[in-house]
Amino acid sequence: MSRFFATGSDSESEESSSAEEITPKATGTAFNKNLLLSDDEEDTKRVVRSAKDKRFEELTNLIKTIRNAMKIRDMAKCLEEFEQLCRAFLKSKAIVDKEGVPPFYIRLLADLEDYLNQLWEDKEGKKKMNKNNAKALSSLRQKIRKYNRDFETEIANYKENPEQSAEEEEEKEEAESGSYSESEDDGEGVTAKSFMKKKPAAEPAPEASKFLKGAADDESESDDDDDDEIWGSDSTDSGSESEDNEGNAASLALAFLKKLRRSKRKERAEEEAEEEGLEQEGGEWEKVKGGVPLVKEKPKMFAKGTEINIPVVVKKLNEILQARGKKGTDRAAQIELLHALAAISEENNLGQGIMVKIKFNIIASLYDYNPNLATFMKPDMWKKCLDCIDELLDILFENSNIFIGENIAEDSESLAVSDQPFRVRGCILTLVERMDEEFTKIMQNTDPHSQEYVDNLKDEGRVCNIIDRLLQYLENKGSTEEVCRVYLRRIMHTYYKFDYKTHRRCMGIQGESKSEQDQEESEGEDSAIIMDRLCKFIYAKDRTDRIRTCAILCHIYHHALHSRWYQARDLMLMSHLQDNIQHADPPVQILYNRTMVQLGICAFRQGMIKDAHNALLDIQSSGRAKELLGQGLLMRNMQERNAEQEKIEKRRQVPFHMHINLELLECVYLVSAMLLEIPYMAAHEFDARRRMISKQFHHQLRVGERQPLLGPPESMREHVVAASKAMKMGDWRTCHSFIINEKMNSKVWDLFPEAQRVREMLVRKIQEESLRTYLFTYSSVYDSISMETLAEMFQLELPTVHSIISKMIINEELMASLDQPTQTVVMHRTEPTSLQNMALQLAEKLGGLVENNERVFDLKQGVYGSYFNRDQKGGYQQKQGYQRDQKGGYQQKQGYRGGYRSQNQSSY
Amino acid sequence: MALRRDPASGNSLDSPVKQIQIEGLVVMKIIKHYQEEGQGSEVVQGVLLGLVVEDRLEITNCFPFPQHTEDDADFDEVQYQMEMMRSLRHVNIDHLHVGWYQSTFYGSFVSRALLDSQFSYQHAIEESVVLIYDPIKTAQGSLSLKAYRLTPKLMEICKEKDFSTEGLKKASVGYENMFEEVPIVIRNSHLINVLLWELEDKSTVADKHELLNLSSGSHLEKCLQMLMDRVDEMSQDIVKYNNYSRSLSKQQQQKHQYVQRRQQENAQRQSRGEPPLPEEDLTKLFKPPQAPPRMDSLLIAGQINTYCQTVKEFTSQNLGKLFMAEALQGQGS
Repeated sequence: MSRFFATGSDSESEESSSAEEITPKATGTAFNKNLLLSDDEEDTKRVVRSAKDKRFEELTNLIKTIRNAMKIRDMAKCLEEFEQLCRAFLKSKAIVDKEGVPPFYIRLLADLEDYLNQLWEDKEGKKKMNKNNAKALSSLRQKIRKYNRDFETEIANYKENPEQSAEEEEEKEEAESGSYSESEDDGEGVTAKSFMKKKPAAEPAPEASKFLKGAADDESESDDDDDDEIWGSDSTDSGSESEDNEGNAASLALAFLKKLRRSKRKERAEEEAEEEGLEQEGGEWEKVKGGVPLVKEKPKMFAKGTEINIPVVVKKLNEILQARGKKGTDRAAQIELLHALAAISEENNLGQGIMVKIKFNIIASLYDYNPNLATFMKPDMWKKCLDCIDELLDILFENSNIFIGENIAEDSESLAVSDQPFRVRGCILTLVERMDEEFTKIMQNTDPHSQEYVDNLKDEGRVCNIIDRLLQYLENKGSTEEVCRVYLRRIMHTYYKFDYKTHRRCMGIQGESKSEQDQEESEGEDSAIIMDRLCKFIYAKDRTDRIRTCAILCHIYHHALHSRWYQARDLMLMSHLQDNIQHADPPVQILYNRTMVQLGICAFRQGMIKDAHNALLDIQSSGRAKELLGQGLLMRNMQERNAEQEKIEKRRQVPFHMHINLELLECVYLVSAMLLEIPYMAAHEFDARRRMISKQFHHQLRVGERQPLLGPPESMREHVVAASKAMKMGDWRTCHSFIINEKMNSKVWDLFPEAQRVREMLVRKIQEESLRTYLFTYSSVYDSISMETLAEMFQLELPTVHSIISKMIINEELMASLDQPTQTVVMHRTEPTSLQNMALQLAEKLGGLVENNERVFDLKQGVYGSYFNRDQKGGYQQKQGYQRDQKGGYQQKQGYRGGYRSQNQSSY
Repeated sequence: MALRRDPASGNSLDSPVKQIQIEGLVVMKIIKHYQEEGQGSEVVQGVLLGLVVEDRLEITNCFPFPQHTEDDADFDEVQYQMEMMRSLRHVNIDHLHVGWYQSTFYGSFVSRALLDSQFSYQHAIEESVVLIYDPIKTAQGSLSLKAYRLTPKLMEICKEKDFSTEGLKKASVGYENMFEEVPIVIRNSHLINVLLWELEDKSTVADKHELLNLSSGSHLEKCLQMLMDRVDEMSQDIVKYNNYSRSLSKQQQQKHQYVQRRQQENAQRQSRGEPPLPEEDLTKLFKPPQAPPRMDSLLIAGQINTYCQTVKEFTSQNLGKLFMAEALQGQGS
């Protein structure tokens, strides 16, 4: 019912009815006047009415307005009128007590409740409703529930037997009107009063019973039209019901039913086709069971006895597809229909061509199921989709004579089984790509810490499998472009996975030879080889820049992940990606950032601390690593990001299983910063102009210093800070124990595939850098120091100590010389003392002060004389300021840019 | 240890106080106060009590202020002072408020806070002074206690709250003549003097050698550090002023151009027989930029001056000591 009224598909009759019916709202008499144009004289004459009539008239009027409001979904109005109605009903209590509750009243209550429940159920519609209406709806719903409790039995009665009650009333009214015996002829003699009774009586009857009754009778289209007219006249002209079928409530109801069926048909456009077929071939309607209007059994596709051949099926398919994308199309039903169609065509052995075509469409409509781009597929849909694609691929593999392609025009398709190969329009690659995206979406929208995520992740294998099969298929049939695309998909599913098999194999070969078995076991192709092959193909063949960029980045990532630092670095430098990555789209930039981070971590594992630091600097220094890597959104206020942007950003997130551990990242960064910064700080302790290597590291140090009470370190950062402090004093043992211990192992270091090797490297680095720091800090207190002592202190071999010290001397970091025979370092003591340093600094500052002062003086001296000169200067500074602004904006704009280049050009 | 200072020669004071006489008790109390409550760079403060005799201010007693903490923000200082003084009066102690004292950390006392409070003291009680006690110097062997008053010129300026360049220029206040130092005499009863003489006679040589401490590095470093900080502040201040004067002159230029253009236009109009354009308020069109207050830079300069004085004093002393030590060493070897 709600659908019927709400959709307004039945435009003519409803418009007319509502137009006329709204006018008479005012008073009973006016209402009569308006409606009974023909006998309005009679009407005006009639003044005397019983109390009962008066009361009932009032009620019926109210009921009528409520029904109108229901029709136009005006909940606020509905509520208002309902309240009035209740009041009016109370007023007429005396009469009600005498006469019993009037049936039309009960009918309204029942209908209204049904209607409200329906509206309530209809979430979509509710969302569309404005606030007022929605509020009114909920309050009205509560009210009517409460209110209806008093009339439970009556309503139940009515629901059981609406028809009867309607008829009963009808009869009663007949009798009544008879008893009033006014000038009542068969033509149009229904009195106003009887109309009043009848009108509401007639109206709800069909409405309530339409679903219960079902459309049992099959009348012809023309008949339908007839009824239509009747209905129309009925609603417009109040009295006219008596013209053809006066008093014939049953047939009236029938007319309504007819109407209803039609409108329903219109609204469910995708069923139109079947129904037409149905009507043409005298197909029959199944009865819809009890009161649940939306569940309908699936109608049969084709009439019995129709010869099912390809054109018919294609026609059917097109019919179904025409509804696609239209408002109000039941997408689930559409999918069902397509499945049914597929089944039918299979039954009838129509050949693989049509089958492929239908499958294409099924998959497409599965994707269409979610109208919103942001929402993700439901699990069952997803499963269905996977199955479908699998089947489709099966068919394609079995039948090598099927050609598919986007560019095959609809009319040049050849679906019939013949000698010629099938030609089907459609692109399997697009479907698979879409599937892959859906998979990503599903993973994005699943809570990564739930079992559900694990379950979903298990589908990854299937996805890979499908992509693999498609890859095989396209390698034979597809164009280069398509092959590139599918290769990229394959790469995307490979690059972030650590190849444990190969790793183990390598270790095994290095270690013992007994792992031959393992080697045989791990038959699968080495992922590095696959990556190499696929990427090289893309490098050679791809013509779109984006695919190549992605492939390069993935390749680098894969290299870096497997500790092939030099290959990764060379590829990064050769690709010159750093130069123009800021022009790429955000997902590629995210990929770039991920690659950069992985590269940095790889460098760290290889002991290239400086490279690691440089690679990670950009990501870490912004403090937005999470965002830059697409691993989560930062909490920001809404000014910076509105809901729309947030949605877009959410769609860019990398699924959890591909995440790079942020703590690991930060730890690697901080430790490399520590190894660089602490000796540097020690070396430049008194340098007024020293620069920080890593701001973030300094920030952490400061945070550590600010702590009023220093307990044992808890978090990773605290560990690094504590280690840094120890290192500052040249105490490598403490530093070591802070960096490598149980906690840090479990938090960070064990995440590396070759944890032990990394740890060894780290210890070594700590020893070396501690030695350097020690020499920087304490060289002033030594006249000479034996290298052996140093070697012992830092547990390094003598040659290493020798080389470190030599390097420091060469770089003029340490003012000393080596005394070969005694193996000692002799300090030159040319470094200024701290007091001298201070004095130097002061002198420098004073110089600045004087300069500034003189500038003031200059200004005083020649206000006009040096005006132009100064103006230029000012202009220049302004320009600088402008540039700075620009730069700021620029950097802001390229949110996802990593400026590896700027750091790296100097270091390579 | 009694320490007598000659009144600074050539110090022409036109203020009501020309000399300050401090009871030994007050000195002891101040030193004790710092030792008990002040640590490191924390500053202790207190109230001086005494009376004026002719042009001599005699400080006969004092009491400390409690240390400020965040917790008792509602602590009423005035109330506390009044009550203290009332209580002291009950036990027949001088209860006239004649100033206040403050400890200092490496001689950094010239600050806005000191200026403000000394101004309010001097405004209310004309003869009040501020005693600055330097515990670090004292620990090195020479009691450092100085009495300062604001010069009448500075008082004038503070009264008018005119810290602009012009105001300062008119009053001809420089960093040198912001504060005036009042000579201090510490007075003890004769009995105590006798006792001190006796103690000195008895004490061994080693006890007095604190004065001869040769290590100078840390103190100098500290001084330099603070001096540097001040210089930085000064630099910033100057840059600020520089910007101000630049924008000011630029605006002057604009104004000038505007007036000229207006004149030209008017001349043209006159030649054409039209009425001249109405006069517009120039100050409205060209709002002069906010002039930076100069008091802060003056204070910083004053502070730098005191630092320099301390450093100079310290180094000359130390040089003397070093020469002495060298000579001694030459003798020894």
